[in-house]
Amino acid sequence: MANKKVGAYICSGCSIAGAVDVEQLAALGAEAGCLVRKSPAFCLEDSRLIRDDVAEGAVEAVVVAACSPRVNTDVFRIPGATVERVNLREQVAWSHPAGHPETQELALDYLRMGIMRAQRVARPQPYTQANTRAVLVIGGGIAGISAALNAARCGFRVVVVEKQEELGGWANRLYRQFPKRFPYRGLPPITVVEQVRELRALPNVAIHCGSSVESIEGEPGRFKVTLRTAQGTVEDTVGAIIAATGWQPVATEKYERYGLGVYPNVTTSVALEEMAKRGVVARPSDGGPARRVLFLLCDGRGDDAHLPYGGNVSSLVALKQALYVRELNPEALAYLFYGDIQTPGQYEYFYHAVQADPGVLLSQGQVERISETHDHSLAVELSGTTLGPGTALEVDLVVLASGMAPNTATSDGALALRYLQGQELPVTKFGFADSNFICFPYETRRTGIYSAGAARQAMDLAAAARDGRAAALKAMQSIEKSSAGQAVHPRVGDMSYPGFFMQKCTSCGRCTQECPFGALELNEKRNPVLNPNRCRRCGICMGACPVQIISFADYSVDILSAMIKSVEIPEADGEKPRILALACENDAYPALDMAGINRLEYPASIRVLPVRCIGSVNSVLVTDAVSRGFDGVALLGCKSGEDYQCHFIHGSELLEKRMANMRETLGRLMLEPERVQVVEVAIADYAQLPSVLNKLADAINEVGPNPMKGF
Amino acid sequence: MIEKLEPDLDFKRRIIGLDARDLSYCYQCGTCSAVCPVSSEENPFPRKEMIWVQWGLKERALSNSSIWLCHQCGTCSAYCPRDAKPANVMAALRDYSITHYATPRFFGVALSHPKYLPLLFALPVAILLAILAGLGNLGGLPEGRIVFAKLFPDFYVEALFDIAVGLAVLGALAGGARYWSAMRGARADGGGSFWTALAQVIREILDHGQFKRCIDEPVGSRPTHQTHLYKTHLAVFYGFLGLVATTASVGVGIHFFDYLTPWPLWHPVKILGNVSGTALVVGLAVFFWHRIGEQARAGKSTYADWLFLIILALAVFTGFACESLRLADLAALAYPTYFVHLTLVFFLLVYLPYSKFGHLVYRTTAMLYARSQLNARGLVADASDLAK
Repeated sequence: MANKKVGAYICSGCSIAGAVDVEQLAALGAEAGCLVRKSPAFCLEDSRLIRDDVAEGAVEAVVVAACSPRVNTDVFRIPGATVERVNLREQVAWSHPAGHPETQELALDYLRMGIMRAQRVARPQPYTQANTRAVLVIGGGIAGISAALNAARCGFRVVVVEKQEELGGWANRLYRQFPKRFPYRGLPPITVVEQVRELRALPNVAIHCGSSVESIEGEPGRFKVTLRTAQGTVEDTVGAIIAATGWQPVATEKYERYGLGVYPNVTTSVALEEMAKRGVVARPSDGGPARRVLFLLCDGRGDDAHLPYGGNVSSLVALKQALYVRELNPEALAYLFYGDIQTPGQYEYFYHAVQADPGVLLSQGQVERISETHDHSLAVELSGTTLGPGTALEVDLVVLASGMAPNTATSDGALALRYLQGQELPVTKFGFADSNFICFPYETRRTGIYSAGAARQAMDLAAAARDGRAAALKAMQSIEKSSAGQAVHPRVGDMSYPGFFMQKCTSCGRCTQECPFGALELNEKRNPVLNPNRCRRCGICMGACPVQIISFADYSVDILSAMIKSVEIPEADGEKPRILALACENDAYPALDMAGINRLEYPASIRVLPVRCIGSVNSVLVTDAVSRGFDGVALLGCKSGEDYQCHFIHGSELLEKRMANMRETLGRLMLEPERVQVVEVAIADYAQLPSVLNKLADAINEVGPNPMKGF
Repeated sequence: MIEKLEPDLDFKRRIIGLDARDLSYCYQCGTCSAVCPVSSEENPFPRKEMIWVQWGLKERALSNSSIWLCHQCGTCSAYCPRDAKPANVMAALRDYSITHYATPRFFGVALSHPKYLPLLFALPVAILLAILAGLGNLGGLPEGRIVFAKLFPDFYVEALFDIAVGLAVLGALAGGARYWSAMRGARADGGGSFWTALAQVIREILDHGQFKRCIDEPVGSRPTHQTHLYKTHLAVFYGFLGLVATTASVGVGIHFFDYLTPWPLWHPVKILGNVSGTALVVGLAVFFWHRIGEQARAGKSTYADWLFLIILALAVFTGFACESLRLADLAALAYPTYFVHLTLVFFLLVYLPYSKFGHLVYRTTAMLYARSQLNARGLVADASDLAK
């Protein structure tokens, strides 16, 4: 490894030369046995120098000491060589005083780390054995139909599983839909029949109605699925799965407060839909016409009669149903009370159109009391309306908005995954499939399985159709990437995956538990077995392993440890402290770059080492850093908790647990636990980063120099 | 107190029909009430009027002083995020309430429907013709120097118009009283001294403080109706008062001093009349200009708006025409014009409480009511800020 042919390409442009002594960096490279070249701009035509060296076989590992690895990625993608980027621009020249000896030391250390890494990384060999070009769609509602149609049109074989006897889902039960295009007036008919016909006409689609999933095992590119159908058990292999399992109304007993189940003329929007489909809005008590209908949307009280989240669908449904009332009986009045009404985007025009009907009367308000009058009519007392104090109405029918609860949370066995971590998709506290909501809304925590439609988020027909299309795109992308042995996301195209040095495995199983994506199974000997295509290459298993047997070709405890140890630690006089910052490359590292771009200065004593996820940091790295003589270690991760920012779900939380143990270890080494600090950094926090890092450095400096220096 | 709501969709449709169809867009954000220069924390408007009309809550909408405290500066419409044009709704409510409180009711209906217009004109024409017939003046125009008294002797004109004004006052009092008791019914708490409030309100009307508030306390930079309204209404108001004073003086001159018309042009009363008429003409011209040229800002104009403006303008125009034709000695034109002028003045006076002219009854009543409410709660010391 050490005799690898490394080329060090030191750039002097973008004010690097003004900040540091480039000659000294070049000398360091030469001393380390590298082929050294300099240029005022390697990102321009001089990038050819690098390519030529590699093409001639003079260099196998390239070290580009220039700008951040987050920029010019295309320029420095050199075929035939591994490439290390040493960030002399954003994190040295732009964020530290020019010409200062500490700035120079920082640049030298970064180059040492880069060369060290270049010498140790290997090129990953992709895993390409799972490549079935077929998609399983679970659920034949609008989202599922749309997903199946789009995947099939793209040439993928599609298998649709629907538990009902016919395709169409909820759309079959609707009377009309609210308008989906300009001018957003009127109520167009339901068109699901046409889509079903279109889907059935496609040759590469197999449809199993009245069926369910018995089991799913395997990985993206090669899921073995077993279906329970009317014709018996069907086995198949697919490359990706779309879970469009839909929704169901929230249990009605929650609405007892409003008289549901107590008074015959209190009903739900789902029941009203069926009524309208029969062509009449009637009083259930006597079948007489309902001339005064009150619709009640979630009034924002937040009591337990409501779902813990709100959606705009119920607003749109109530507006639509108010028009049913008016259309089926022009003499009828529709009252609509709401906490707030949500008609996102162009649906604002639909709201306008409904308001323009003189017989639809809307107001904010809360129901105080519902009671029955003589003939099962209902007296409704309201508060908080904008009509003035104390409002009461007598109505024939009260319609409560049905909450849409996702089927992911409530129906056991919809997916029936044979995964160690559980049969179903991990869900949020709201019951929707868990995923990094901001960056990857369609992803679930099971790679290759995408949720779509109302199972993912309460949505209307148009949105569900859109959602199905999007999920189909993700599923196809997943199959293509898996076939090529590449990660789908977030490390798109990454071909590395973890390897296990099984001779040393203690079968503790921690890696199988901590993997956020359930990529690891246990075999009969209770040893971990990787499903490479389920893996997202975050390295959390690598951070978890107590005996450090998990590594990637280009990312391992060894490589990181060697990089840490390559840093020169000055004398223990307290003048030049050294702090190691292990920074999440998704948030903290870009935030540091942003600080540099904005020319914000932070302590030059900090050596930043990017990691795939802060959860991939193995405790031993902290011990190594402290043993090496670093005065402190900062672990820069992402926001954890309910609204987590982590691309890999809970890297920061896992790390925090490890660090609790770590602090004990430090205690045994007679070192102060304050030397190790965990900080959550969001990318948008870059402006506060200097003061955070200054405080952190001050706190560590206060503890005093590391007594282990020089050992 | 819980009131069971009974929406009256017919009322809603009527208001919409009075050029307020955009009211359905309102989603009750309250921007209008916040920006209104004359509404107050105590009695914010026009947000609540918007939903009352949307819901067809006729009694709530009509038994409130707000609709007449509004001076139609249009700031609410300029700032409405949904373009619901609250100013149009307030104007429509005022139109409707004049008809609603009209006593006798028939006049209210007649003044708000074009189909009754011939009938409304027929009444004064018939009376005037009857007088002419009684005097035997139907046969031909009087000879010699033009003196309008030759056609209609002063006594008859005086008597006719005294009766006309008397009827108008009775109608105004009846309508005002109905409005007052409706407001009292809607809001049970008592008011302060009537006479104190009256003094304050008269001062308020004379200095046009509410109109001025729209200029003195502008809400923002958006163009509204506010800047011209104060000056224009001031011109029309004082022009009208001037003409009333002129007519009264002439009556006094004839009866008590036997100072027969026509009076010379240099006479102070004559000058007052001409100046007032001119002010009125200029003011009306500006109103016409805004109604036609700036509909977006001024709000839409209804039949009632146009009827009022046109009759007033024609009355002033024929007044000047009579004077000019008399001076030009064109008897064949002067006497018929005088006939038309008397018809129009009759129209204005007798139908005052039922036409848009009725605003001087209802607005005054609303201001009186609001003022006495405020006085009762000791909220205001200064008569110049009625709405605070």
